[in-house]
This record gives sequence, structure tokens and C-alpha cells, in this order.
Amino acid sequence: MTNKISNTLSSGLGGVSRRTVLTGIGAAGFAAAMPGIRRAHAQETTLRWWSPQTAPAQREAYDYQIRTFEEANPGVKVLFESTSDEGYPAQMAAAFASGQAPNVVTHLPSFAVSNYWQNGLLEPFDDVIAMIGPEKYYEGANKIYEITPGQHAGTGIGNSAANMLWVRTDLMEKAGIDAVPRTWDQLRDAASKMQGGGIYGAPLPYARNSMTSLVFVCFVHGAGGMIFSPDLEVAVDSAEFRNALEFYKSMREFCPPGATAYSWGESLTAFVSGATATGLYTGRVLANVNAQNPGIAEFVSAHEYPTVSEDVPHWTFNDFPSVMIPKDAPNMELTKKLAAHLFEPDGYIRQLHAAPGHVLPVLKTISSMEAYQDNEIIRKYSDDVDRMAAAAAAGHNLGWESTAHQPNTKAGQIIASHVLAEAVQRYVMNGDAMDAVVSDTAMRLEELMKG
Amino acid sequence: MTATTITGSAAAGAPRGSALDRRYAMLGLVLIAPSVMIFCMVIVYPLVSAIYLSLFSIYTPTLQGDFVGLDNYATLMASGEFWRSLLNTVIWTVCTLTLQIVFGIAVALVLHQNMAFRALARSLILFPYFVSTVVAVLVWRWLFNDLYGILNHMMMWAGLVDMPLDYLGSMPNAMISVVIVGAWKYFPFVVIAVLARLQTIPEPLYEAAKIDGAGPIARFFDVTLPQLRDVLVVIILLRAIWDFKEFDLIFLLTGGGPLISTQTLPLMVYKDAFGLNDMGRASAVAVTMMLVMLVFMIAYLRLTGREEKEAAQ
Repeated sequence: MTNKISNTLSSGLGGVSRRTVLTGIGAAGFAAAMPGIRRAHAQETTLRWWSPQTAPAQREAYDYQIRTFEEANPGVKVLFESTSDEGYPAQMAAAFASGQAPNVVTHLPSFAVSNYWQNGLLEPFDDVIAMIGPEKYYEGANKIYEITPGQHAGTGIGNSAANMLWVRTDLMEKAGIDAVPRTWDQLRDAASKMQGGGIYGAPLPYARNSMTSLVFVCFVHGAGGMIFSPDLEVAVDSAEFRNALEFYKSMREFCPPGATAYSWGESLTAFVSGATATGLYTGRVLANVNAQNPGIAEFVSAHEYPTVSEDVPHWTFNDFPSVMIPKDAPNMELTKKLAAHLFEPDGYIRQLHAAPGHVLPVLKTISSMEAYQDNEIIRKYSDDVDRMAAAAAAGHNLGWESTAHQPNTKAGQIIASHVLAEAVQRYVMNGDAMDAVVSDTAMRLEELMKG
Repeated sequence: MTATTITGSAAAGAPRGSALDRRYAMLGLVLIAPSVMIFCMVIVYPLVSAIYLSLFSIYTPTLQGDFVGLDNYATLMASGEFWRSLLNTVIWTVCTLTLQIVFGIAVALVLHQNMAFRALARSLILFPYFVSTVVAVLVWRWLFNDLYGILNHMMMWAGLVDMPLDYLGSMPNAMISVVIVGAWKYFPFVVIAVLARLQTIPEPLYEAAKIDGAGPIARFFDVTLPQLRDVLVVIILLRAIWDFKEFDLIFLLTGGGPLISTQTLPLMVYKDAFGLNDMGRASAVAVTMMLVMLVFMIAYLRLTGREEKEAAQ
């Protein structure tokens, strides 16, 4: 049979040997690929931009920024690729490990930047800050990115006040509540009075996810405590930590049954749809309420989240949406130009207007611009936007719990490990003993900090 | 026949092989080389890599770290999370597989009958299997939703419950929900395989059973089920392997929660590798998973080998 194949080849191809045929096929394939290779060399340079903030209006703003950058830099193409708040650790890890990191990454929380910086994965950002103009930033806006003294790992593309208390003034009035709750007791009382008729008091998350962890961090600070001491020793074995767990548990009866699976999206939808009387979210509520439930748009307002008592100051969770550049990103000069381009006023304002009040400007020059103020929602809710801006400006997160704290480069891994969310679930849902929950949480946090 | 002749003459006349034989042998090597290379790339390399990585403490984004020997395995064996995840994996696999088989056989029997719109029904029944897992999970999450989900709405309307049920955030509801969605998603595979086998069962077997006085139930247990045995063994083994390593459906539905009540081993691998950036520990979990799945594989190979022997006899 083998001879037959050989003969067929020989006769069918007019005596051409198999080796010649194979060589010919190889040569033909290579020749066919050559124009492609030549075209690839002649093609434009491609820069990749990743972000987890991908609402349609935001994508439109990004498209505008990309178009203007491409027009200003002929031969350069910018490709936008979306990631997600819950999925970025995996995508970034895979991208770094495979050497396929994007050129620019925006809107990740600051503690993700600090972790990547600590492991030598990021390009210093000082050149970009110089291109943007350091004098344009709010005072201290980039301090959180100065993990190594004298060098910036990234910069903020905005501020966010993620744990604002959203209230419905119509429901408050109906329930006879004349002031926005300032303390936890007042919040519980208000939630109790407003709950009923298919409306729940609050949409707090009790799931095993990042939102539960981040909200719990807010509550610990709202109790006057902290997760880590300023020199990053685990500090959860405290009365404040226990008090925060108690408060979280006491709110369960005012939350929908499915809050045990809530993340940011579900929590936002619950308030926007009118299913809960209060909400906990950023300024994205404004755009969503006006678009999806305009009937309650006149009655929503944002306030700093209550604390255990008036003596304990508000603590706002600002994830400091960032911009960073992976060290191995190709075309570094163009990449830095792109990063700086994102702060050009016309495009930056479009980006901020895409979710008014959700991402707040980090450049004081932008805040004062008439073009930025010229937005229906920002005008309509100017008091709320001002409150959010002030709260965000004084905000912190697990990567930087207070101005006295060192940057915590393990914050991202702590959130991803769900240690804090599991503490909430164990105490609130499983009814585990407080001491056991606190002790296990402390031990796991110590392991994570050592690891 | 030609190959036998060539081999025979080569063995008798030229112990070390002629130039032509050597060229044919070389050609054979060249021809199988791509397959071997692909096998090495997609099977051997990942396998060896996983075992190798499991001996290190490795930061995922840089894939750099220190050699720790068997420490990762020792940590796993002492970890309650690992054993709980293994137990969850077994519970998930056994329960969802059982439902898939039961529903799959039942639906296949129905679709084997002469009925109106049989062709349409046979096509529609495959829908869950073909629909993307992400889409399926989104649909089910809406069905389960406490505020807007139709399941809670109908149960409250019917007076079965006073308050919406928490399907995904509390136990045992979360595991039951995951198992049901898994069964819904994958039972069409059983339907296809069983239906194909049903169509080849000789009709005289049923006629003989009827003559002997067997009713429908007796005919199912005495004729149908024995005839389905071989195909069911293959289905169970394949689906057990696939369900054991299921990730996306569980991850998207519950994320492994509440706590780690629905966290299976693949979810633990993901969390360790990308949440905690500990690729070494994640690899150790993956290798352990592989060892467990090896048991399924050996059972499968033995069964298929035995069937081939029986067929040859």
C-alpha cells in the first residue's frame, strides 16, 4: 500500500519526489505568509486599554478619547478591552504571567496598583503625571500612589465615594422621619419604620464577595476601629470590630432575603428600582434613577454613611480608581502619551459625565470648568455631588486605611480571599460564636500578610 | 496485507532493514510527529508544569517563587477548606449526575414514543445543552431573584411561602439550586445518547416480553434497562469526569458561597491561583484533583477495554 502511495505521488506529479513536493508546499506556505508579515510590519501600532468601567455611556466617552488620540497620532490604533471588578485579578495575573499585559489599565482600585508595583510589574508613572501637570491635581491626590518614596506607581483617574447612604425623602416623610440618620441606631430605626409594603429597609450585601468585604471594612471604621494598625499589624481583635459585626447582623432583618447573594449590581438595582428605602452606593445612583425610575428621581439624596455615634467621624470608602502602565507594555512612549491623553479636558469631562457623580474628578482644574458643571444631573443634584466630592476627597480604603497608615500592598489579596466577607457570613448567617469568628479572621489575615 | 508482506520480507531478508525500509520508518516518524508534538503540548507539558509548579510557592503574575517541596500538599491535607471543597465536589457530582441520568432516561423514553411534534420536541430538548453557560446562569439568577424572580412570585401567589426564598445565598438552598441548574443544563446529553441506543433495541424483545405477560414497568426493567447498560456506563463515566471539574456554572451562580458551602475544587484552584496569587498551592489542588479523576479514568479504560475484549470474543 505504501508503495502504491509512493507510485501515485510519483506518477500523479510527473515524477516529482515527495521531498520536492513537501519542500514546495512549505515554500508556498511561507511565500503566502510573507505579504501578511510585510503588511503586519507596515500596519499601525496597536495600544491596548483595559478598564472594568464599561457602561454604555462610558464606552461612548472612551471611544471619543480613543478617536481623538488616534487622530493626533496617525498610525496608532487603540483597542479597548473590558475587564470587571470581580474578574480583574485573574485577568491581570494571566496577562502579566503570559507577557500579554495591556498598555494602559484604568479604574482598578489603588490597592491593586500597589500590589503590582510592589512586585515590580509597573512602569513608574511620574513622566505621565508631569505631562498631565502635577499642579492641576487636588492637594495630596497622588499620595496613595507614592508607595516608593519619590516615585508614583500610578495616578487617580477619579475619586469615588462608594459607601454613600442613599435615602428616599418621600419614604422618610411618610414614615415620620425628619432627619437623615447620623448614627447606626438612627439608621436601624429609620429602616424599621420605612420597611413594609414590599419595600425593604436597606440593600446591604451578605454574600461571599468583594462588596461584602469592602462594606464591612467601612462598618469597622464606622465603629471607630480598623482592620490593620498604621504599621500594618492585624487589629481585628477589638471591641470595634465586634461592634461592626453586631451592627451588620442587626441590619439583616431590613435587607431582602436575596441580599445573601448581592454584589454591587444587585444592591444598586434594589435601591434604584424602589425595592429598598435606603441604598449604599456611589453617585451612579443618580444617572440610573433618572433613566430607569424617574418617578423617584425627585426624592433621592446622598449622605455620608452613619457611624456608631456622632463622636466617630464618617469614613468614606474611596477605591481611588486608578491609571497604571504595566512595565512590559510595548511602545512605552506612546503608551504614556495615551495615559496622559485620558486627562485632556474634553475627553475627561465626557468620561466623568458618562456617570455623573460616580467617578469624581481628581483635577481641580476640571472641577472648576464650566463644561464640567454643565451637566443636567450635576446641576440638578449639585448638593449631593458636592457632598460626595467632599467625602471622596477625605476617603480611604483597605490599602490605605488612614493618613497615618502605611500603604497595604496585600489589600487586594485580602479582599479576593473573602476573609472579611466570610467573617460576616459566619457571624450573621451561620450564627458562629463571635470569639471564634474574630480569632479565625485574625489568624487568616496574619497568614495573608505573611504570604 | 501489504504491510504484513513488507514487514515479513524485511525481517527475513534484511535484519537491520533496507534503505527503503528506513525511509519508510522515517516517513512514519515524520507523519506521527505532529500528533506527538500536539499531544506533548496540550497534555504532557501542562501536566508536568502543574506538578512542577505545585512544588513551589509562586506569585501568579510573575510566575516566580521559591522551591517548597511537598509543603503545598502538606498544607492542603491539613486544610479544612480543601476537604470541605472535595466533599462539595463529590456532593455536586453525585447529585447532579443522578438527576441528569434519571431525567435524561425519562425524557428519552418519552421522546422515543410516537407523539405529535416529536421532531420539534427532540430539537427543543437540546436547548439547555447548547445555550452558553453564562446566558443560562443569567436566566436562572433572574428566576431565583428574591425581588423580581418568577419562582418566588409564583410561590407567594400560590400561598406556599410568605416571604421570598433565598435560593442562592443560604444552605441547603444554594447547593440544591446549583445541582438543579446543573442537571437542567446537562441532561440533554443523556437524552441524546440514550435515545440513540433506544432506537437500536430490537422490537422482538419487547414483543416477546409482552407475550410473556410483562407490563410497561417490567419491560423497562427487564428489557430496556439491560439494553441501555453499556451506554449508561459510558455516559456516567464521561459526565462524572466533566461534572467533577465543572467551574463556570457554579462560579457564576454562587461564587462558591455562602461561605464555602458550594465551593468545589475547581473554584478553590481559581481562588488560590488568581485571588490569592498563589499558583503553587493552586497547582497542588489541581494535581490532587487530577489524581481523583484518574480513578474515573482507570475505571473508564478498564470498562472500555473489557467491552472491546468481549466484542472480539
